[in-house]
Amino acid sequence: MVPLQAQGQGQAQAQPQLLPETLVDLLGLGGFGVLGEIVAALIAAFIVGNIMLTMTAVAGPWAKRKITAAFTDRIAVNRVGPFGLLIIVADAVRLLSKELIVPEGVDRPAWDLAPIVLPFSALLGFAVIPMGNGIQLADPETGLVFAFAVASIASLGVVMGGYASNNKYSLLGGLRAVAQNIAYEIPLIVTAASVVIFTGTLRMSEIVAAQSAPLFSVAGVTIPSWFAFVNPFAFALFLLANLAEIGRNPFDIPEAPTEIVAGYQTEYSSVYFVLFYLGEFLHIFLGGALIATLFLGGPAGPVLPGFVWFVIKIWAVFLFTQWARSAVPRFRIDQLIEIGWKGMLVLSFANLVLTAIIVGVIAA
Amino acid sequence: MSLEQPRDAAAVERTLGDELETLLGDRVLGREEHVNAPGFVIRPGDVQDVLFRLRDEAGFDHLSCVTAQEYEDRYESIYHLKKYADPTQEVSVVVPTDKENPVSQSAEPVYRTADWHEREAYDLVGIKYEGHPDLRRILLPETWQGHPLSLDYDQDRPQVVPLREHANPLHEDHADEQDADTMYINVGPHHPATHGVLHLKCILDGEQVVDVESDIGYLHRCEEQMAQQGTYRYQIMPYPDRWDYISAGLLNEWAYARAAEDLADIDVPEYAQVVRTMGAELCRIAAHMLAVGTFALDVYGDFTAIFMYAIRDREKAQNILEDLTGQRLMFNYFRLGGVVWDLPEPREEFFEKIRDFLDDLPEALEEYHDLITGNEILQARTIDTGVLPPDVAKSYGATGPVARGSGIDYDLRRDDPYGYYDELDWDVAVEDGCDNFARLLVRLREVEESAKIIDQCVDLLEDWPEDERTIQSNVPRTLRPDDDKEIYRAVESAKGELGIYIRADGTDKPARFKIRSPCFSNLQTLPEMSNGEYVPDLIASLGSLDIVLGEVDR
Repeated sequence: MVPLQAQGQGQAQAQPQLLPETLVDLLGLGGFGVLGEIVAALIAAFIVGNIMLTMTAVAGPWAKRKITAAFTDRIAVNRVGPFGLLIIVADAVRLLSKELIVPEGVDRPAWDLAPIVLPFSALLGFAVIPMGNGIQLADPETGLVFAFAVASIASLGVVMGGYASNNKYSLLGGLRAVAQNIAYEIPLIVTAASVVIFTGTLRMSEIVAAQSAPLFSVAGVTIPSWFAFVNPFAFALFLLANLAEIGRNPFDIPEAPTEIVAGYQTEYSSVYFVLFYLGEFLHIFLGGALIATLFLGGPAGPVLPGFVWFVIKIWAVFLFTQWARSAVPRFRIDQLIEIGWKGMLVLSFANLVLTAIIVGVIAA
Repeated sequence: MSLEQPRDAAAVERTLGDELETLLGDRVLGREEHVNAPGFVIRPGDVQDVLFRLRDEAGFDHLSCVTAQEYEDRYESIYHLKKYADPTQEVSVVVPTDKENPVSQSAEPVYRTADWHEREAYDLVGIKYEGHPDLRRILLPETWQGHPLSLDYDQDRPQVVPLREHANPLHEDHADEQDADTMYINVGPHHPATHGVLHLKCILDGEQVVDVESDIGYLHRCEEQMAQQGTYRYQIMPYPDRWDYISAGLLNEWAYARAAEDLADIDVPEYAQVVRTMGAELCRIAAHMLAVGTFALDVYGDFTAIFMYAIRDREKAQNILEDLTGQRLMFNYFRLGGVVWDLPEPREEFFEKIRDFLDDLPEALEEYHDLITGNEILQARTIDTGVLPPDVAKSYGATGPVARGSGIDYDLRRDDPYGYYDELDWDVAVEDGCDNFARLLVRLREVEESAKIIDQCVDLLEDWPEDERTIQSNVPRTLRPDDDKEIYRAVESAKGELGIYIRADGTDKPARFKIRSPCFSNLQTLPEMSNGEYVPDLIASLGSLDIVLGEVDR
């Protein structure tokens, strides 16, 4: 195993090989030119997409139940398979075999597109995330901006679903989702920009590489310069804004089961519901992946392979969202907007300016 | 003790009655003596005048209940009035109306709570109230034919109501055709936050509630009529368990026990009173635990830790109640004149179990306070939302934790003592906040007070000499209270004042059995609390009212 520092330096010096390139070499597609690259890219995207979908499948029907049960003194699924793991299969069969109810008066193309837009906007975001061990589909110069841009498309899906459902609860949920996403996306991106000031680049692999230098050593343990340690304030802000962005407690206002039934997804059933659900979990994981990349050194970590560390980190973020779900009450929509515009936005800009000054002073 | 008191009370009542008769002057057509209060017979046209006088000059600010009934020769509405300051001072205003054309003046301008009570009277008995703002059926569907508690009601007549005659809840979109800014929305009857089958017709302006109207009656099970068909001694007692079925069973049973025992002059042995008191307070803890848990559920929005913790602690109370009564929900443990059986053997083990529960309770409550009342988000959500000022609460006849959360120091256990409460050392929990948070605090504090009461009861029961453990007094096999004897008695249930009116007709079954449900009156305050607030606050306010539809609809 390459030591942490050496690994980081290696990445900084030479651009690491991306997954499609590796596949081209591995499968001997080099002779096919552009066509070979496209085939390799599709296979690579298939692999990455399936990794994420598998994680979602574990998270949705099984891990979520188990985690919530642990928080609330219960046992949860334990009858089907070892630790109840086969409930994933049972749930998949159950959900997919249900009748797809199309209510009267729904706005057809929009109503059908919404559940597709939501998960795919999240899946697109994973294209630029370095997952360690060379698993990264693309590494454009504007990687970070791309991730935020595609993740934001989810709002469109939610509004489409809410508006096209021809249901008042859905409409309220859709409108709430837009108001919330706008209010929290700006602090989210501004906070991420403070990280960019440190790194001087939007390229994901370089952001990760910038965090590999040691910050300081305590009793022989080297603390790397992850931005969570360099700027914990920004980390906290990002974590919070991310909760709102993905619509989890205390900001699960677009769904708010006790108020507006299920918000924008009230009218969806069967496969469409699964897609919505999938999209939500993918968004949680995409949020986790962004947090891991921006603040937790990406796939870096001792002993275990990078990909394992990456998975551990995004699951840690998932655990955090579930913890918040079990323990924290929900805000009211007006309070949420107020916190977003009057609190988070001000704090994130303060953080940005402060970071800029500190970086400027160090550079000078 | 129990022998002395009624005589004194009767004397007090007589002087009170004379004073009031002077106040009302020639509006009084005649006097009636109900067991609980003096009754004044007045003309149907004088209702508002008399009630205004009684409210403003004699201080009867609490319209506890409106009973309507039909006699062979007349209809009758009875307004049971009390004082929030002293509920032992009661008066009944009896309004007989014509058999052919039963029209009586509405009391709604005097007491807001009369709105629903008179609607119910109209719905079930058929008396019409002049000047009532909105005299529609309340429990039965709009299309129902006949009034089920009137004497000539034909039970066999089929109630065929075609679908087109029902109002289509999907039809309306706005408050009215001109007003396109508002949105009409149905919360319920199937909705995650209505705690049963309640239908709230809401008009929203964006996220704000412009108007909300409760549509109840989905769980109407004719409890009053069923009680009228049962004999006093055994056949009625199982029903109260089914009114407020959220484990407040013993508290409900006590309402019937108290009314029937006072009606038939039955004494209850002191030992049985202590057992009753202990059981009732266990029920109150169980009920409040659920109230706190579901309220948190409404505010948190998911099955969260606090809900499961509350259920976990409620379970312990339920286990003790199961040991005591043999049932977990429908206890049927009280009997007229006592309780059905003594504490379970071995007694030490039973007491040990209760003590363990009480010992763990402070820690559990600490946890609740850490999780909910100490949480800034919950405070931001609940403080100053669902505001119910004390005078509004009084006008709506709010009782129980809803009234005490609005700073009204009113608790029948202390103010109109029954059972063993006046011998024990405990406090009434009152909060001045008037908001959702205050109601939550009241419930949590009441759990502490109930624990105090149970603790003292266990002390008493442990030292009770073995040969004096009388669980039931001698009660005749068949009870036939005197003809035309009337009584209205209330107890403090988990939700508030649960009152029962019984009129005897010399047989072994009541001629009229009327239930005054605290949830029914408390639910009426919802528009006052929610209008102008946000949808989430409407849900939180509904949760803080802690209604049980089984009791609202009966």
